[in-house]
Amino acid sequence: MFEVGRLCVKIAGRDASKKCVIVDVLENNHVLIDGETRRRKCNIVHLEPLDETIEISKKASHDSIVSEFKKLKLNPRVTKPKQKTERPIKKRKTPEQLKEQREKKKEEKKKASEEQEKANDAGIEKKLEEKGKEKPAENKEVKAKTVKPKTSPKKKD
Amino acid sequence: MPAGKHKSRSLRRVYTKVSTRVSLQYKKRKPKKAHCSKCSDVLKGVPRERPYKMQNMPKTKKRPQRPFGGVLCSKCMREKIKSDIRQ
Repeated sequence: MFEVGRLCVKIAGRDASKKCVIVDVLENNHVLIDGETRRRKCNIVHLEPLDETIEISKKASHDSIVSEFKKLKLNPRVTKPKQKTERPIKKRKTPEQLKEQREKKKEEKKKASEEQEKANDAGIEKKLEEKGKEKPAENKEVKAKTVKPKTSPKKKD
Repeated sequence: MPAGKHKSRSLRRVYTKVSTRVSLQYKKRKPKKAHCSKCSDVLKGVPRERPYKMQNMPKTKKRPQRPFGGVLCSKCMREKIKSDIRQ
């Protein structure tokens, strides 16, 4: 029943209810499986065999099984290998570099303080201007209300 | 003597160690254990805690990570998958 190429459904663990194919038969009721599940050793008790079989060689590679599963319109598990990233190596700064850093910081502070002063001056000037404008604007002309004279309805003879 | 509201055994008594003495605290009792919905067997891997503790627990610690985890026991899950295949 459990020979190479037999399609099965896993019925235990996190890959339960997923289809797989037997790739290799191992000792003590164990088989190697691959497909929708992870490629792993598995006990026969944890598999439910199906009627279908696939033609694959013993110990077939994962890529060949992926292509076979795609023919059957199944979604094989594809894991992307992690790309190695190099750790940035920290280097101590030389005293000359440290000096430059300090000078840069000082310049930035100076610039910021100058800008703030300018902004403050501009703000005060604006406020003064607004105050000057508001005073004449307050004396708005009040429209005289026009009251319609009451007309008594004409009596018909 | 305990206070009147603590005389009944509806609350759980917890002894906690303070630096100088052992103090008595009253806490609400835990809910009953989770059971399988098919065979009503006790579920493993499902913690037995009050809702305020379950809220702060990660999802992976609240149930096993297989299909129907936390609802069916492993035996009933296997039976269900097998019956689904054969239909």
